[in-house]
Amino acid sequence: MRRLPILLLAILLLAALLAAPARAAEPIRVGLLAPLTGSWASEGEEMRRVTELVAAGLNARGGLLGRRVEVVVQDDGGDPRTASLAAQRLASAHVAAVVGTYGSSVTEATQGILDEAGIVQVANGSTAVRLTAKGLRLFFRTCPRDDEQGRVAVAVLAGTSAKRVAILHDSTSFAKGLADVAKAGLAGAGLTLAAFEALTPGDRDTTAVLTKLKAAKPDVVFFTGYYPEAGLLLRQKREMGWGVPFLGGDATNNPDLVKVAGKAAAEGFLCLSPPLPQDLDGPEAKAFLSEYRARYGAPPLSIWGVLAGDGLRVLARAIEAAKSTDGPKVAEALRSSVKEFPGLTGKISFDGKGDRVGEVHRVYRVDASGAFVLRK
Amino acid sequence: MEELLQQLTNGLAVGGIYALVALGYTMVYGVLRLINFAHGELFTLGAYLGFTFLTSFAFAGRVGPIAGLGLLALLVMGLVAVTGALLERAAYRPLRDAPRLSAVVSALGASIFLQNALMLVYGARFQVYPDEALPNRAVRLFGAQVPVMRALVVAASAALMAALWLFVHRTRFGTAIRAAAIDRDAARLAGIDVDRVVLAVFLIGPALGGAAGLMVGLTYGQVGFTMGWGYGMKAFTAAILGGIGNVPGAMLGGLLLGVVEALGSAYLSTAWKDAFAFIVLIAVLLVRPTGLLGERIAEKA
Repeated sequence: MRRLPILLLAILLLAALLAAPARAAEPIRVGLLAPLTGSWASEGEEMRRVTELVAAGLNARGGLLGRRVEVVVQDDGGDPRTASLAAQRLASAHVAAVVGTYGSSVTEATQGILDEAGIVQVANGSTAVRLTAKGLRLFFRTCPRDDEQGRVAVAVLAGTSAKRVAILHDSTSFAKGLADVAKAGLAGAGLTLAAFEALTPGDRDTTAVLTKLKAAKPDVVFFTGYYPEAGLLLRQKREMGWGVPFLGGDATNNPDLVKVAGKAAAEGFLCLSPPLPQDLDGPEAKAFLSEYRARYGAPPLSIWGVLAGDGLRVLARAIEAAKSTDGPKVAEALRSSVKEFPGLTGKISFDGKGDRVGEVHRVYRVDASGAFVLRK
Repeated sequence: MEELLQQLTNGLAVGGIYALVALGYTMVYGVLRLINFAHGELFTLGAYLGFTFLTSFAFAGRVGPIAGLGLLALLVMGLVAVTGALLERAAYRPLRDAPRLSAVVSALGASIFLQNALMLVYGARFQVYPDEALPNRAVRLFGAQVPVMRALVVAASAALMAALWLFVHRTRFGTAIRAAAIDRDAARLAGIDVDRVVLAVFLIGPALGGAAGLMVGLTYGQVGFTMGWGYGMKAFTAAILGGIGNVPGAMLGGLLLGVVEALGSAYLSTAWKDAFAFIVLIAVLLVRPTGLLGERIAEKA
């Protein structure tokens, strides 16, 4: 019976050997904050699909640092209060990093929570200038900033025959910020401000503000808010029999806009946007688009979802470069090792503040069939 | 001048919707002294049912636009009314004699339940009414541009309110409703079947709310599962503004609120639109704590 202890020892050793790889194979969990419910639900759904597809691609190539990548999705409801709770849940789940989210005011509610928890955040749709002006070392974004977009908007407006510009926002961080930047740039481009107004998001009736704008007789209206309201505005503008052209900011580039407005009312609507998924070129983007179509049966429609995918891809690169999932180390790697990274949406590098550098907006026009067509 | 007229018609169209929804709050409060917080969701249900019928049976295409809309309205109102009655049966009647707070909590629970049920059935994304099903023209009226759909909405809400007023003030059953609103126990002593009155109130209020939801869908096209909250809030304000428990008060409050919002955004600032609604409410309540037409509650108290 002297063999029993040896046998026991052998079993213990075997168990330890089996357990060790199990611990090493514990997945790297990356949080995704996305508006799966609320009025931006169609954006949130695409963010989830794209991110899960990118994660599946990483896992097919052996994962990260030998570990699988797992996406933990939390619904932010497109609402700052829901989002702060969602961020807290991700923080207490000790995710390695967080991708998202879409709306600037929503992201703003999560920044402090994630920063305190030492978690790197890569936002995909939050373009408000001040998000990166707070000196948060762990915050990055794959989308361009509003001030850049504001400059593009003024240049586009100056390129038309319009002289009097009305600017309309919806009081959210993003829309107000963009509206302010555009307003400041008008005079320098020889344009005059006809009106500067705000509407209430979620409000279905926009006739009051449209009537007020109409009385100011603008040549063009620049709406800086989001697509649900943009659709309602276009529809009600047509019902009023008012033919003024509308230019939208890059939160209006969602096909649901055409559904809300109707094709007749949406035709001729111009919007600024980073290139839409169908206009992405480059080998990574082409491969990604065909994978997406194979998995979900339809192409991705929104660029913001693709930018969330780029968020996860740069994080993967940074985690590999840092050989760690530790927040500050990953952030350092995002600044130093991610240079001219071949993203789905073009080359990606970050500046010291965490903003993406070198991104160009395009101008899209809604045609008679309701499609967003790139204006060359 | 033209702008003023346009803003007035804008305000009346919105106010008509507020008024229809407000009637549901005020009738229930009048009889049961209960704020039916689930009323906003019944409104949303009306909007979604209209969407379902329009997309699955192609109404307008088969029976002509006006008759089709009429039939659609009747179906939606009927179904929402039945839902309202079921809600009363399930969530409020068991608590009729319980402390008032229990009924309020039950109402909040019903609201959350209905909202999430709608989200699960129809999805979290907003839905859009089929474009081709709706008359999409505008007529000029005294220099203001009025879309046909909006004119129809104003006319229909006026007709519904007139019918309700006649019913409440000119029929025996209407008298019974008013009697139960003044004193439920005395009405029962006088031989009025209070349960039937409550049932009627929970049929009529939700029917009007459902009609308002359908109108919002038809006018704006976009329906979402959270829409009941915003409209419910405004309609509740309108009911209090007019004097809660008072039927003409809810009509007046709703229209007034719509016009105040339109004129406030026209001549002051659109960003402050919601603030104006509540400033007016506070101002009115400071001068007349029972609302504009709400004398009956003062008598009771």
